[in-house]
Amino acid sequence: MENREAIIDFEGSISFETMERLLNQLKSAWQFNALRKPVRKRVYGTVVESIDNIFKYATPYKDTNRELQRHPQIQVKEQEGRFIVSAGNLILKDQVDDLKYKLNRINKMDDQALKSLYEEVINREASDEDRGAGLGLITMAMRTDENIRYEFESAGPVHSYFTMHITIKE
Amino acid sequence: MEKLIFEPTANSPRIVLDPENKNFEFSGESRPENVRKFYLPILEWLEAYTAEQEKLKGDERTFGLLCQFNFEYFNSTSAKYILDIFKSLNAINALDIELEIKWLYEEDDEDMLEVGQEMSRMSKLSFEYIKSDA
Repeated sequence: MENREAIIDFEGSISFETMERLLNQLKSAWQFNALRKPVRKRVYGTVVESIDNIFKYATPYKDTNRELQRHPQIQVKEQEGRFIVSAGNLILKDQVDDLKYKLNRINKMDDQALKSLYEEVINREASDEDRGAGLGLITMAMRTDENIRYEFESAGPVHSYFTMHITIKE
Repeated sequence: MEKLIFEPTANSPRIVLDPENKNFEFSGESRPENVRKFYLPILEWLEAYTAEQEKLKGDERTFGLLCQFNFEYFNSTSAKYILDIFKSLNAINALDIELEIKWLYEEDDEDMLEVGQEMSRMSKLSFEYIKSDA
């Protein structure tokens, strides 16, 4: 799938080394370097958090039926002065309602409410076992002026493919 | 205490904990592959330093420490550990060891300034905010 506007368009299993490669790809893109530094940092941070989310939450690929296997995806594209970071991965169908609830809750929050939730979660979560409300999701929501868009697509009897899109404005 | 120095990498910050020169420094980017493994020795060092200072009489303790935080970027998992560092510094401060905490941020980087203000509020430590040119 070719995308002329895409700065990053990756589909495959994601390791820490892949993340380094994708971040280097981002840092060498002229569209990225043309941004003001604070905006650049927001885009960079959103890509890091999106990939971290895949590390933490994606359901292991090996558990799935071969025909239904779908790799994680990460895409960064520029569209009319906006940067859109999209990340997708398989999750269990059982997790869909909980994730929807968390995303809807975060999307309804204003800046002050997000700060309060950030404080609650950063003080509560057990460090790397970051599987609660998700400090990463809250951080991304704090850095975007738009709601986090998302969709779930059925991937067999047990899994769903979750994709989220985060927009950063110049 | 022996000083602790971590040299920076593409995904981990430079860290200097040098009590002899009363200098603590954190700078660069923080998104190591295993955040817990990276920050645990630092938190353990701070805990041991606090315990060592606690055993000393008031006038034998370190008089003051300069703590400089000059992060380019840190991810949300690192943020948790950075807050833990501030909580450790708070325990040092509670021993009447004066801390001069400088939070550096690049001009226009309101996000980094704001996260510093939140860290200061949550750890109940006062920060001096300094705009850097880099």
